[in-house]
Amino acid sequence: MALLPIDDSTPPVGPTPSIASSGTPGVAGALEAYRQKDMTKVRFKAIGNAPIMRQNYYRITASNRFQAVIQFLRKELGWKAADPLFTYINSAFSPTPDDTVANLYKCFATEGHLIVNYSSTAAWG
Amino acid sequence: MSSLFRQMVWDGTVPLAIKLAPSSLPSSSDRMLDTYFIQAPRISYLPLLIPEIRQNLCDLVLDEATAAALREEDWWFETEKDNVLKWHWPIGLLYDAHFTTMSASESCFLPSASSLSPPMPITLYLSNPPADKLLLTPSVESLKSSFMSQCKEADFLRWGSTRRMTGLRKTEQDGLWDAIREHNYDNFWKIGSKILPNPNPPSPLLNSSPPTPNPDGTGAATTTNDAYAVRSIPLRLFLPNAPVIQDLCSPVTQNGVHTTLGDLLSASFPLLFSKGANIQNTSISGAYAVVQGMEPPLETEVGWLGASLAGADGWVNVCVGLRA
Repeated sequence: MALLPIDDSTPPVGPTPSIASSGTPGVAGALEAYRQKDMTKVRFKAIGNAPIMRQNYYRITASNRFQAVIQFLRKELGWKAADPLFTYINSAFSPTPDDTVANLYKCFATEGHLIVNYSSTAAWG
Repeated sequence: MSSLFRQMVWDGTVPLAIKLAPSSLPSSSDRMLDTYFIQAPRISYLPLLIPEIRQNLCDLVLDEATAAALREEDWWFETEKDNVLKWHWPIGLLYDAHFTTMSASESCFLPSASSLSPPMPITLYLSNPPADKLLLTPSVESLKSSFMSQCKEADFLRWGSTRRMTGLRKTEQDGLWDAIREHNYDNFWKIGSKILPNPNPPSPLLNSSPPTPNPDGTGAATTTNDAYAVRSIPLRLFLPNAPVIQDLCSPVTQNGVHTTLGDLLSASFPLLFSKGANIQNTSISGAYAVVQGMEPPLETEVGWLGASLAGADGWVNVCVGLRA
Protein backbone atom coordinates (compact mmCIF):
# COMPACT_ATOMS: atom_id res chain seq x y z
CA MET A 1 0.00 0.00 0.00
CA ALA A 2 1.39 3.31 -1.06
CA LEU A 3 -0.14 5.48 1.65
CA LEU A 4 2.34 6.72 4.22
CA PRO A 5 1.64 8.77 7.32
CA ILE A 6 3.09 12.22 6.83
CA ASP A 7 6.25 13.10 8.67
CA ASP A 8 7.18 16.50 7.34
CA SER A 9 10.88 16.00 8.06
CA THR A 10 11.13 13.47 5.24
CA PRO A 11 11.76 14.90 1.82
CA PRO A 12 9.03 14.37 -0.76
CA VAL A 13 9.43 11.08 -2.55
CA GLY A 14 9.78 10.68 -6.28
CA PRO A 15 10.03 14.02 -8.06
CA THR A 16 8.19 14.35 -11.34
CA PRO A 17 10.50 13.03 -14.04
CA SER A 18 11.51 15.83 -16.33
CA ILE A 19 10.64 15.36 -19.95
CA ALA A 20 14.20 16.13 -21.02
CA SER A 21 15.63 13.30 -18.94
CA SER A 22 13.44 10.69 -20.60
CA GLY A 23 15.83 8.44 -22.43
CA THR A 24 13.32 6.92 -24.82
CA PRO A 25 13.23 8.86 -28.05
CA GLY A 26 10.29 9.41 -30.32
CA VAL A 27 6.59 9.22 -29.76
CA ALA A 28 6.70 6.26 -27.38
CA GLY A 29 9.09 8.25 -25.24
CA ALA A 30 6.78 11.23 -25.37
CA LEU A 31 3.90 9.12 -24.11
CA GLU A 32 6.06 7.61 -21.37
CA ALA A 33 7.17 11.03 -20.17
CA TYR A 34 3.60 11.95 -19.33
CA ARG A 35 3.00 8.95 -17.09
CA GLN A 36 3.39 10.79 -13.84
CA LYS A 37 4.84 9.60 -10.57
CA ASP A 38 5.00 11.78 -7.49
CA MET A 39 3.44 12.16 -4.09
CA THR A 40 0.51 14.20 -2.82
CA LYS A 41 -0.93 14.82 0.63
CA VAL A 42 -4.36 13.57 1.57
CA ARG A 43 -6.36 14.64 4.59
CA PHE A 44 -9.21 12.44 5.84
CA LYS A 45 -12.27 13.87 7.58
CA ALA A 46 -14.94 11.70 9.16
CA ILE A 47 -18.58 12.66 8.64
CA GLY A 48 -21.56 11.68 10.74
CA ASN A 49 -21.04 8.53 12.76
CA ALA A 50 -17.91 7.41 10.95
CA PRO A 51 -15.06 6.71 13.39
CA ILE A 52 -12.15 9.14 13.47
CA MET A 53 -8.77 7.79 12.38
CA ARG A 54 -5.69 7.87 14.58
CA GLN A 55 -3.91 9.82 11.90
CA ASN A 56 -5.62 12.09 9.39
CA TYR A 57 -2.80 13.16 7.11
CA TYR A 58 -1.21 10.77 4.66
CA ARG A 59 1.12 10.89 1.72
CA ILE A 60 0.06 8.91 -1.34
CA THR A 61 1.63 8.18 -4.70
CA ALA A 62 -0.15 10.54 -7.05
CA SER A 63 -0.48 7.98 -9.81
CA ASN A 64 -2.67 5.79 -7.58
CA ARG A 65 -6.31 5.59 -8.46
CA PHE A 66 -8.83 6.86 -5.95
CA GLN A 67 -9.78 3.20 -5.50
CA ALA A 68 -6.49 2.77 -3.58
CA VAL A 69 -7.60 5.49 -1.17
CA ILE A 70 -10.93 3.75 -0.64
CA GLN A 71 -9.21 0.41 -0.02
CA PHE A 72 -6.78 2.04 2.40
CA LEU A 73 -9.65 3.65 4.33
CA ARG A 74 -11.44 0.31 4.61
CA LYS A 75 -8.31 -1.31 5.96
CA GLU A 76 -7.60 1.47 8.47
CA LEU A 77 -11.20 1.50 9.68
CA GLY A 78 -11.30 -2.29 9.75
CA TRP A 79 -14.44 -2.28 7.59
CA LYS A 80 -15.39 -5.29 5.52
CA ALA A 81 -16.01 -5.09 1.79
CA ALA A 82 -19.75 -5.29 2.40
CA ASP A 83 -19.83 -2.40 4.89
CA PRO A 84 -21.03 0.74 3.12
CA LEU A 85 -18.35 3.41 2.77
CA PHE A 86 -19.04 6.71 1.05
CA THR A 87 -16.20 9.03 0.08
CA TYR A 88 -16.35 12.64 -1.05
CA ILE A 89 -14.00 15.39 -2.10
CA ASN A 90 -14.41 18.82 -0.45
CA SER A 91 -17.76 17.78 1.08
CA ALA A 92 -19.22 18.07 -2.40
CA PHE A 93 -19.04 15.05 -4.70
CA SER A 94 -17.83 11.46 -5.03
CA PRO A 95 -15.01 10.96 -7.49
CA THR A 96 -15.07 7.85 -9.65
CA PRO A 97 -12.74 5.18 -8.24
CA ASP A 98 -10.64 5.26 -11.39
CA ASP A 99 -9.80 8.96 -11.14
CA THR A 100 -6.13 9.29 -10.22
CA VAL A 101 -5.17 10.99 -6.99
CA ALA A 102 -2.93 13.29 -9.06
CA ASN A 103 -5.89 14.59 -11.09
CA LEU A 104 -8.07 15.11 -8.04
CA TYR A 105 -5.22 16.86 -6.24
CA LYS A 106 -4.56 19.21 -9.16
CA CYS A 107 -8.20 20.17 -9.45
CA PHE A 108 -9.48 20.14 -5.90
CA ALA A 109 -6.61 20.43 -3.38
CA THR A 110 -7.23 22.86 -0.52
CA GLU A 111 -4.19 24.34 1.23
CA GLY A 112 -1.91 21.69 -0.16
CA HIS A 113 -4.13 18.76 0.76
CA LEU A 114 -6.73 16.70 -1.00
CA ILE A 115 -9.59 16.60 1.49
CA VAL A 116 -11.39 13.26 1.53
CA ASN A 117 -14.59 13.02 3.58
CA TYR A 118 -15.76 9.54 4.54
CA SER A 119 -19.01 8.30 5.93
CA SER A 120 -20.99 5.13 6.52
CA THR A 121 -24.10 6.73 5.05
CA ALA A 122 -24.71 8.79 1.91
CA ALA A 123 -23.98 12.43 2.75
CA TRP A 124 -23.91 14.49 -0.42
CA GLY A 125 -25.62 12.03 -2.75
CA MET B 1 -25.86 27.82 -33.52
CA SER B 2 -25.43 26.98 -29.84
CA SER B 3 -28.19 24.44 -29.68
CA LEU B 4 -27.09 23.02 -33.02
CA PHE B 5 -23.96 21.53 -31.48
CA ARG B 6 -25.83 20.35 -28.41
CA GLN B 7 -28.32 18.67 -30.68
CA MET B 8 -25.51 17.10 -32.72
CA VAL B 9 -23.82 15.73 -29.60
CA TRP B 10 -27.15 14.40 -28.39
CA ASP B 11 -27.96 12.79 -31.72
CA GLY B 12 -24.44 11.43 -32.28
CA THR B 13 -24.25 7.66 -32.51
CA VAL B 14 -21.47 5.12 -32.89
CA PRO B 15 -21.60 1.62 -34.40
CA LEU B 16 -20.83 -1.27 -32.06
CA ALA B 17 -20.40 -4.93 -33.00
CA ILE B 18 -21.26 -6.93 -29.91
CA LYS B 19 -20.17 -10.55 -29.91
CA LEU B 20 -20.82 -13.12 -27.23
CA ALA B 21 -17.64 -14.55 -25.71
CA PRO B 22 -17.29 -18.20 -26.83
CA SER B 23 -16.52 -19.11 -23.23
CA SER B 24 -19.96 -17.81 -22.26
CA LEU B 25 -21.76 -20.08 -24.72
CA PRO B 26 -22.96 -23.52 -23.72
CA SER B 27 -22.83 -26.24 -26.39
CA SER B 28 -26.56 -25.90 -26.98
CA SER B 29 -26.13 -22.36 -28.37
CA ASP B 30 -26.81 -21.34 -31.93
CA ARG B 31 -23.31 -20.24 -32.87
CA MET B 32 -24.26 -19.17 -36.38
CA LEU B 33 -25.61 -15.98 -34.93
CA ASP B 34 -23.17 -14.50 -32.52
CA THR B 35 -22.75 -10.81 -33.33
CA TYR B 36 -25.25 -8.01 -32.86
CA PHE B 37 -24.67 -4.67 -34.53
CA ILE B 38 -26.07 -1.64 -32.85
CA GLN B 39 -25.92 2.09 -33.52
CA ALA B 40 -25.69 3.44 -29.98
CA PRO B 41 -26.07 7.04 -28.75
CA ARG B 42 -22.74 8.60 -27.77
CA ILE B 43 -24.17 10.02 -24.57
CA SER B 44 -25.61 6.67 -23.44
CA TYR B 45 -23.94 3.90 -21.43
CA LEU B 46 -23.39 0.19 -22.03
CA PRO B 47 -25.66 -1.01 -19.20
CA LEU B 48 -28.55 0.89 -20.80
CA LEU B 49 -28.14 -1.26 -23.92
CA ILE B 50 -28.46 -4.52 -22.03
CA PRO B 51 -32.22 -5.05 -22.52
CA GLU B 52 -31.83 -4.62 -26.28
CA ILE B 53 -28.77 -6.87 -26.46
CA ARG B 54 -30.52 -9.49 -24.41
CA GLN B 55 -33.57 -9.51 -26.64
CA ASN B 56 -31.76 -9.41 -29.97
CA LEU B 57 -28.70 -11.49 -29.22
CA CYS B 58 -28.72 -13.56 -26.05
CA ASP B 59 -32.30 -14.77 -26.30
CA LEU B 60 -31.67 -15.92 -29.88
CA VAL B 61 -28.27 -17.54 -29.40
CA LEU B 62 -28.84 -19.24 -26.08
CA ASP B 63 -31.30 -22.03 -25.45
CA GLU B 64 -34.35 -20.99 -23.50
CA ALA B 65 -33.27 -22.35 -20.10
CA THR B 66 -29.83 -20.73 -20.26
CA ALA B 67 -31.28 -17.43 -21.42
CA ALA B 68 -33.81 -17.43 -18.60
CA ALA B 69 -31.09 -18.04 -16.01
CA LEU B 70 -28.93 -15.09 -17.13
CA ARG B 71 -28.04 -12.55 -14.48
CA GLU B 72 -27.56 -9.17 -16.13
CA GLU B 73 -25.58 -7.87 -13.16
CA ASP B 74 -22.87 -10.40 -14.08
CA TRP B 75 -22.46 -9.08 -17.62
CA TRP B 76 -19.34 -7.24 -18.65
CA PHE B 77 -17.78 -5.98 -21.85
CA GLU B 78 -14.29 -6.15 -23.26
CA THR B 79 -12.53 -4.89 -26.38
CA GLU B 80 -10.79 -7.38 -28.64
CA LYS B 81 -7.51 -6.30 -27.01
CA ASP B 82 -8.71 -7.69 -23.67
CA ASN B 83 -9.36 -4.27 -22.19
CA VAL B 84 -12.32 -4.36 -19.84
CA LEU B 85 -14.69 -1.58 -20.88
CA LYS B 86 -15.64 0.89 -18.19
CA TRP B 87 -19.41 0.77 -18.10
CA HIS B 88 -19.55 4.17 -16.38
CA TRP B 89 -17.90 5.92 -19.34
CA PRO B 90 -20.23 7.33 -22.00
CA ILE B 91 -20.32 5.09 -25.08
CA GLY B 92 -18.97 7.86 -27.31
CA LEU B 93 -15.91 8.12 -25.09
CA LEU B 94 -15.36 4.35 -25.13
CA TYR B 95 -15.49 4.51 -28.92
CA ASP B 96 -13.16 7.49 -29.34
CA ALA B 97 -10.69 6.16 -26.75
CA HIS B 98 -10.67 2.75 -28.45
CA PHE B 99 -9.85 4.07 -31.90
CA THR B 100 -7.31 6.67 -30.75
CA THR B 101 -5.58 3.94 -28.71
CA MET B 102 -5.58 1.67 -31.76
CA SER B 103 -4.03 4.51 -33.76
CA ALA B 104 -1.02 4.46 -31.44
CA SER B 105 -0.37 0.75 -31.85
CA GLU B 106 1.79 -0.04 -34.84
CA SER B 107 0.03 -3.07 -36.20
CA CYS B 108 -3.16 -1.23 -36.83
CA PHE B 109 -5.05 -0.30 -39.93
CA LEU B 110 -7.03 2.82 -39.58
CA PRO B 111 -9.52 3.97 -42.12
CA SER B 112 -8.89 7.46 -43.35
CA ALA B 113 -10.78 10.24 -41.67
CA SER B 114 -13.14 10.57 -44.57
CA SER B 115 -14.45 7.02 -44.55
CA LEU B 116 -17.40 5.82 -42.50
CA SER B 117 -16.90 5.09 -38.81
CA PRO B 118 -15.99 1.43 -38.37
CA PRO B 119 -17.92 -0.59 -35.81
CA MET B 120 -16.14 -1.04 -32.51
CA PRO B 121 -15.76 -4.73 -31.75
CA ILE B 122 -16.95 -5.57 -28.25
CA THR B 123 -17.02 -8.96 -26.56
CA LEU B 124 -19.81 -9.57 -24.08
CA TYR B 125 -19.20 -11.98 -21.20
CA LEU B 126 -22.20 -13.29 -19.33
CA SER B 127 -20.55 -14.30 -16.06
CA ASN B 128 -17.62 -13.83 -13.68
CA PRO B 129 -17.25 -10.05 -13.84
CA PRO B 130 -13.73 -8.88 -12.86
CA ALA B 131 -14.72 -6.72 -9.89
CA ASP B 132 -11.22 -5.30 -9.50
CA LYS B 133 -11.34 -3.79 -12.98
CA LEU B 134 -14.99 -2.74 -13.10
CA LEU B 135 -14.69 -1.04 -9.68
CA LEU B 136 -18.42 -0.56 -9.28
CA THR B 137 -21.35 -2.92 -9.58
CA PRO B 138 -22.63 -2.45 -13.11
CA SER B 139 -26.27 -1.93 -12.17
CA VAL B 140 -28.40 0.81 -13.67
CA GLU B 141 -28.82 2.23 -10.16
CA SER B 142 -25.07 2.62 -9.56
CA LEU B 143 -24.72 3.96 -13.09
CA LYS B 144 -27.20 6.68 -12.22
CA SER B 145 -25.34 7.62 -9.06
CA SER B 146 -22.05 7.63 -10.95
CA PHE B 147 -23.60 9.94 -13.55
CA MET B 148 -24.87 12.28 -10.83
CA SER B 149 -21.43 12.34 -9.20
CA GLN B 150 -19.84 13.24 -12.52
CA CYS B 151 -22.36 16.07 -12.95
CA LYS B 152 -21.48 17.36 -9.48
CA GLU B 153 -17.74 17.11 -10.04
CA ALA B 154 -18.16 19.07 -13.28
CA ASP B 155 -20.34 21.62 -11.45
CA PHE B 156 -17.64 22.07 -8.81
CA LEU B 157 -15.00 22.65 -11.47
CA ARG B 158 -17.15 25.16 -13.34
CA TRP B 159 -18.50 27.24 -10.52
CA GLY B 160 -16.43 26.36 -7.44
CA SER B 161 -19.30 24.63 -5.68
CA THR B 162 -22.01 22.11 -6.45
CA ARG B 163 -24.78 24.61 -5.75
CA ARG B 164 -26.28 24.46 -9.21
CA MET B 165 -26.63 20.68 -9.03
CA THR B 166 -27.77 20.56 -5.41
CA GLY B 167 -30.10 23.48 -6.13
CA LEU B 168 -32.08 21.29 -8.50
CA ARG B 169 -35.19 19.69 -7.10
CA LYS B 170 -35.06 15.91 -6.69
CA THR B 171 -37.48 15.51 -9.57
CA GLU B 172 -35.21 17.63 -11.76
CA GLN B 173 -32.11 15.60 -10.85
CA ASP B 174 -33.99 12.40 -11.63
CA GLY B 175 -35.27 14.07 -14.79
CA LEU B 176 -31.73 14.51 -16.11
CA TRP B 177 -31.09 10.79 -15.82
CA ASP B 178 -34.50 9.77 -17.12
CA ALA B 179 -33.95 11.98 -20.18
CA ILE B 180 -30.73 10.07 -20.92
CA ARG B 181 -32.44 6.71 -20.52
CA GLU B 182 -35.28 7.81 -22.75
CA HIS B 183 -32.96 9.76 -25.01
CA ASN B 184 -35.16 12.83 -24.83
CA TYR B 185 -33.26 15.99 -25.83
CA ASP B 186 -35.93 18.50 -24.84
CA ASN B 187 -36.49 16.99 -21.41
CA PHE B 188 -32.77 16.94 -20.77
CA TRP B 189 -32.00 20.51 -21.79
CA LYS B 190 -35.01 21.93 -19.96
CA ILE B 191 -33.04 21.04 -16.82
CA GLY B 192 -29.52 20.90 -18.25
CA SER B 193 -29.57 24.58 -19.23
CA LYS B 194 -29.82 25.43 -15.52
CA ILE B 195 -26.45 23.79 -14.86
CA LEU B 196 -24.44 24.03 -18.05
CA PRO B 197 -23.06 27.32 -19.34
CA ASN B 198 -24.61 29.08 -22.28
CA PRO B 199 -22.65 28.35 -25.44
CA ASN B 200 -23.43 31.63 -27.14
CA PRO B 201 -20.14 33.38 -27.82
CA PRO B 202 -19.64 36.57 -25.83
CA SER B 203 -19.86 39.72 -27.88
CA PRO B 204 -16.29 40.90 -28.36
CA LEU B 205 -15.26 44.28 -26.95
CA LEU B 206 -18.64 44.67 -25.30
CA ASN B 207 -17.42 43.41 -21.97
CA SER B 208 -16.15 46.47 -20.20
CA SER B 209 -16.23 44.41 -17.04
CA PRO B 210 -15.57 40.84 -18.16
CA PRO B 211 -17.17 38.20 -15.98
CA THR B 212 -13.93 36.98 -14.48
CA PRO B 213 -14.11 33.79 -12.48
CA ASN B 214 -14.08 34.17 -8.75
CA PRO B 215 -10.41 33.73 -7.81
CA ASP B 216 -10.81 32.44 -4.27
CA GLY B 217 -11.91 28.88 -3.75
CA THR B 218 -15.06 29.59 -1.82
CA GLY B 219 -17.47 29.60 -4.71
CA ALA B 220 -19.35 32.83 -4.28
CA ALA B 221 -22.66 32.59 -6.07
CA THR B 222 -21.95 33.25 -9.72
CA THR B 223 -25.05 34.32 -11.50
CA THR B 224 -23.66 34.64 -14.98
CA ASN B 225 -24.07 31.67 -17.23
CA ASP B 226 -21.49 32.66 -19.79
CA ALA B 227 -19.31 29.89 -21.22
CA TYR B 228 -16.23 32.01 -20.56
CA ALA B 229 -17.21 32.88 -16.99
CA VAL B 230 -16.60 29.40 -15.61
CA ARG B 231 -13.59 28.92 -13.35
CA SER B 232 -12.51 25.79 -15.13
CA ILE B 233 -13.78 23.61 -17.97
CA PRO B 234 -14.52 20.04 -16.85
CA LEU B 235 -12.17 18.43 -19.33
CA ARG B 236 -10.26 15.17 -19.43
CA LEU B 237 -7.38 14.22 -21.70
CA PHE B 238 -7.08 10.60 -22.82
CA LEU B 239 -3.74 9.36 -24.08
CA PRO B 240 -3.35 5.85 -25.53
CA ASN B 241 -2.58 3.35 -22.75
CA ALA B 242 -1.96 6.00 -20.11
CA PRO B 243 -3.85 7.29 -17.09
CA VAL B 244 -6.46 9.91 -17.81
CA ILE B 245 -5.28 13.48 -17.25
CA GLN B 246 -7.44 16.12 -15.66
CA ASP B 247 -6.33 19.55 -14.55
CA LEU B 248 -7.74 23.00 -14.00
CA CYS B 249 -8.49 24.51 -17.37
CA SER B 250 -9.50 28.15 -17.38
CA PRO B 251 -11.33 29.43 -20.48
CA VAL B 252 -9.47 32.74 -20.27
CA THR B 253 -5.76 33.24 -19.61
CA GLN B 254 -4.39 35.77 -17.13
CA ASN B 255 -3.88 38.13 -20.06
CA GLY B 256 -7.54 37.95 -20.89
CA VAL B 257 -7.03 35.82 -24.00
CA HIS B 258 -9.33 32.88 -24.67
CA THR B 259 -7.56 29.55 -24.12
CA THR B 260 -7.60 27.30 -27.18
CA LEU B 261 -7.50 23.53 -27.49
CA GLY B 262 -4.04 23.92 -29.03
CA ASP B 263 -2.84 25.95 -26.01
CA LEU B 264 -4.08 23.21 -23.73
CA LEU B 265 -2.55 20.37 -25.72
CA SER B 266 0.81 22.07 -26.22
CA ALA B 267 0.96 22.90 -22.50
CA SER B 268 0.03 19.35 -21.50
CA PHE B 269 1.95 17.41 -24.15
CA PRO B 270 4.69 19.64 -25.61
CA LEU B 271 6.33 16.63 -27.26
CA LEU B 272 3.17 15.88 -29.22
CA PHE B 273 1.75 19.35 -29.83
CA SER B 274 4.02 22.34 -30.22
CA LYS B 275 3.08 25.95 -29.82
CA GLY B 276 3.71 27.52 -33.17
CA ALA B 277 5.60 30.75 -33.68
CA ASN B 278 2.36 32.39 -34.72
CA ILE B 279 -1.01 32.04 -33.13
CA GLN B 280 -1.41 28.67 -34.79
CA ASN B 281 -0.58 25.65 -32.76
CA THR B 282 0.68 22.68 -34.65
CA SER B 283 0.66 19.00 -34.08
CA ILE B 284 3.92 17.13 -34.43
CA SER B 285 4.44 13.45 -35.05
CA GLY B 286 0.92 13.18 -36.44
CA ALA B 287 -0.78 13.64 -33.09
CA TYR B 288 -4.43 14.62 -33.29
CA ALA B 289 -7.28 15.25 -30.85
CA VAL B 290 -10.83 13.92 -31.04
CA VAL B 291 -13.85 15.37 -29.24
CA GLN B 292 -17.23 13.69 -29.72
CA GLY B 293 -15.84 11.85 -32.74
CA MET B 294 -14.71 15.05 -34.45
CA GLU B 295 -11.30 16.63 -34.81
CA PRO B 296 -11.87 20.23 -33.78
CA PRO B 297 -9.36 22.77 -35.16
CA LEU B 298 -6.64 23.42 -32.59
CA GLU B 299 -7.70 27.05 -32.43
CA THR B 300 -11.09 26.03 -31.01
CA GLU B 301 -11.60 27.81 -27.70
CA VAL B 302 -11.94 25.51 -24.69
CA GLY B 303 -14.69 27.70 -23.25
CA TRP B 304 -16.74 26.99 -26.33
CA LEU B 305 -15.93 23.26 -26.11
CA GLY B 306 -17.15 23.22 -22.51
CA ALA B 307 -20.49 24.70 -23.47
CA SER B 308 -21.06 23.05 -26.84
CA LEU B 309 -19.29 19.68 -27.06
CA ALA B 310 -19.56 18.50 -23.46
CA GLY B 311 -21.38 15.24 -22.90
CA ALA B 312 -24.59 15.00 -20.91
CA ASP B 313 -22.51 14.72 -17.72
CA GLY B 314 -20.94 18.10 -18.52
CA TRP B 315 -17.48 16.73 -19.32
CA VAL B 316 -15.42 17.41 -22.43
CA ASN B 317 -13.46 14.28 -23.31
CA VAL B 318 -10.44 14.87 -25.53
CA CYS B 319 -8.84 11.70 -26.93
CA VAL B 320 -5.36 12.02 -28.40
CA GLY B 321 -4.39 9.70 -31.25
CA LEU B 322 -1.38 9.33 -33.51
CA ARG B 323 -1.50 9.27 -37.27
CA ALA B 324 1.12 7.19 -38.99
